[in-house]
Amino acid sequence: MSSKKVRGNPGLRRGVGSKTTDLDEIMEDPPAGDWLTLRSDQLLEWIDNAVYNVAETTGMREVVNRVTRPIFNYGQRFSPHPLHFGIMCCAIEMGQASAPDHDIDRLGLVYRSSPRQCDVLIVNGPVCEKLRPKLKTLYEQMPEPKWVIAMGECAISGGPYWDSYSVVAGADTFIPVDVYIPGCPVRPEALMHGFLTLQKKIREKEPGMFLRR
Amino acid sequence: MEIKELMQELSALKGVSNASMIRDNVVKLDIDKNSSKEFFTKLRDDFGFEHCSLITAIDNQPEFELVYHFTSVNKSVTVGSTDMSVMMEAHVFLERDTPTIESISDLWGGANWHEREAFDLMGIYFVGHPDLRRVLLPEGFAGHPLRKDYVYEIHEEEW
Repeated sequence: MSSKKVRGNPGLRRGVGSKTTDLDEIMEDPPAGDWLTLRSDQLLEWIDNAVYNVAETTGMREVVNRVTRPIFNYGQRFSPHPLHFGIMCCAIEMGQASAPDHDIDRLGLVYRSSPRQCDVLIVNGPVCEKLRPKLKTLYEQMPEPKWVIAMGECAISGGPYWDSYSVVAGADTFIPVDVYIPGCPVRPEALMHGFLTLQKKIREKEPGMFLRR
Repeated sequence: MEIKELMQELSALKGVSNASMIRDNVVKLDIDKNSSKEFFTKLRDDFGFEHCSLITAIDNQPEFELVYHFTSVNKSVTVGSTDMSVMMEAHVFLERDTPTIESISDLWGGANWHEREAFDLMGIYFVGHPDLRRVLLPEGFAGHPLRKDYVYEIHEEEW
């Protein structure tokens, strides 16, 4: 017990140095006022910290990770559900990728119409100033873990509209982007390659385990 | 009614000048700004142009030009030997200092958003419009970007 490492956000945990019992300290609720302003990433962080501390003290973390990591990573890799959201002409290519010629469903992609059920946000077109807060809202409504694909020149840098009065110069100016797919418009093969690249990234970078750390 | 008769009756109205034919069934008119509402009311009630297709604003520095397109769908006018629907194209010239004109969104409901778009991008003020807000650009945008003298300096700093 002397090597116990307690992690966590000081803002969400109380009594780090106090002499309470271990279980009380580990499973403590966040302060009552924080529930009102708790965002989804903060809630996840709190859950992570609680689960991590329990697993670390009991030594179950290595065991659980060893067992669940391949399964969860496999599930995340082969079912990236993108949001069915189209902005401009790359959305036509996105639809073409689902057609029988290219049949992107075999990669496990099922388009969902609600951001609550999605893992991947495809930004497929120029984002204008009026769309930017809505797209940011869509991104924040998606549950963790989530990824963003910038599809086409417009989403990467603004494309031919980079010096327009209302087009944002790239989607990565306001949301984090994982995969960039160049092209104008992007071919369906390139979109498939982008999703394969995303699978590669999930396999290498994401823990994909029951315990997120 | 022959198309020539229609053009003569239209050009006899108050404030109309330079009547001409663009194509066989399209009449082009220049209208004075001050009598535009009176002309448009007569156009809808007496001549049966029940559809406002388009309102466009052009910046011919220094003055602005508004182009209205109207279609008469139900009323057939004889063009040559055929009865067909006719279109009318009305040009209104506005001074740059006072780009205001009376709204026609109470005559044609479809003119509402056309006028909002012209206000948004070109800064034409339609007097009497029920809801003159920006329609394409976000609220709080400064200036009217399709004017020729609009200067956008933000990207010059960034790039």
